[in-house]
Amino acid sequence: MGFLGYWFRGIFFLTLLVTFSFAGNAQSFNDSVEVITHPGINSNYLSKNLLRSIFGMRLRAWQNGLPVRVFVLPDDAPLHSVFTKQKLNLFPYQLRSAWDRMVYSGTGQAPFVVHTEEEMRARIASTPGAIGYLSGSMINDSVQVVHIDE
Amino acid sequence: MSNSRFSTIAFFLGSSALSLIFLARSVLAEELPKLQNLDLFKLNGFLSQGYIKTNKNNFFGHSNDSGSLDFREIGLTASLRPSPKLQLSGQLLHRRAGEGSNGGIHIDFGFLDYNFANTPAAEIGIRLGRMKNPFGFYNDTRDVPFTRPSILLPQSIYFDRTRNLALASDGIQVYGESRADWGNITVQFGAAFPQVDGRDTEISVLRSLQRRGDLKTKLSYIGRILYEQADGKLRLAISGAQANVGYSPGYNDILLNGSFRFSPLILSAQYNAERWSITSEYALRHLSWKDFGNDAAFQQSFTGESFYLQGVYRFYPNWEAVLRYDLLFTNRKDRSGKKFAASTGYLYPAHNQYAKDLTIGLRWNITPAIMLSTEYHRINGTAWLSPLDNPDMSHTGKNWNLFAVQASYRF
Repeated sequence: MGFLGYWFRGIFFLTLLVTFSFAGNAQSFNDSVEVITHPGINSNYLSKNLLRSIFGMRLRAWQNGLPVRVFVLPDDAPLHSVFTKQKLNLFPYQLRSAWDRMVYSGTGQAPFVVHTEEEMRARIASTPGAIGYLSGSMINDSVQVVHIDE
Repeated sequence: MSNSRFSTIAFFLGSSALSLIFLARSVLAEELPKLQNLDLFKLNGFLSQGYIKTNKNNFFGHSNDSGSLDFREIGLTASLRPSPKLQLSGQLLHRRAGEGSNGGIHIDFGFLDYNFANTPAAEIGIRLGRMKNPFGFYNDTRDVPFTRPSILLPQSIYFDRTRNLALASDGIQVYGESRADWGNITVQFGAAFPQVDGRDTEISVLRSLQRRGDLKTKLSYIGRILYEQADGKLRLAISGAQANVGYSPGYNDILLNGSFRFSPLILSAQYNAERWSITSEYALRHLSWKDFGNDAAFQQSFTGESFYLQGVYRFYPNWEAVLRYDLLFTNRKDRSGKKFAASTGYLYPAHNQYAKDLTIGLRWNITPAIMLSTEYHRINGTAWLSPLDNPDMSHTGKNWNLFAVQASYRF
């Protein structure tokens, strides 16, 4: 039983650690999020299901044969979470599991990870077949906004 | 074509896929710097170190003494997609987990994937080489700590005791997917040769490491049908396999040219909400030995039963708790193990035939790349203990505890 005791003490300590290190760390996000593509993609509308196939890394090419290049922010970026929930109706952990299942069984590839919205905009503007997302205030003419049908 | 030859070809294909990937990488880097930006090549990897302590019995090394650090997973995963229709993928794995996996570097998978058609509504394709067996929810990525809900997968279905037979196989796989508003259906079907060269397989099939002959891989079949709701909340799967293993007797062998067949059927269900997920899997596992000779132990067939119910609760950003009850009966017609114990003249205890494992665990994703996890198991029964780590299975402890911690990194 001493064994179990140590374990519970460990859990108690970890719980305290969580409480202190994360208290007040909840971030809120007030901007809108939009799906954007390279200007060469000439579709202004995508269905929600198609968007899920794209960000789930299931669809490999656009209709004209150009490879789909998916860009995302890191899993813990607030905009990534807002995008995943609002535009895909998924939770970030579901996307992560789906990508991991593909990568580590060899049946697919993970998206490209960028670390800032500036980098996202620059990479999408310069990569044919690219798709990603930006907050409304970051969008300019170098990328194309895509509307998502519910 | 003989089995071993096919297996060699598949292995060769797998290795060439891997070397091609690395070769193409260097060619691309020199000749086509512009394509670099498109990153046709992807390299991922993971690394983990675990510590396991038990109060009785051994799991992944000498866990019963001062605890065991003999649990380590290192993997390197590469893929190359020169066109949307073609992908080459490979993974090298180094795994230490007690006597069952004692190091070395293996080709975990290495195959060529040709995607005939991929439209918004459907896809269809074929894979050739060494592939992970599509088996339940977790087998395809079972050695990647980040893809597991806990440090140890539910042992009733994802045995670490005899893992090689179910792990990966060399051959061909066809796959297809239908995508609609009501959900996606993914079907995989393979005809392939399983890996039978591990000591864990040898001791499970032949009940001893001292046999004079060798196990031979034989053509086997595996398939999985997976349904996922469009929003991924509900996931349902059915997997089935027939793994065939032959035996070529050695000189003066008491065993004959027999065959062993393992036929599992798994039903899987999962529900995913924002804060929690519930997962359950049920398996019937039929095992049969034929034509090995007169020894009664090699003339039998029986069906085992496995079940677990698991809840994951994401109680704080990057923190997860897991609670699971996992049940294994080696023979569903002898759940108490009493008939088995009697049949051995009470040399082996009845509790070797079942295992009931209550697990509670905690996981902290410190960053998307670094994870710390810990868990505690209270176990009644020893059915999934490895005889390699516990050479004297006649003296196992019936009620025991297992504590584990693991640190994992990936890129």
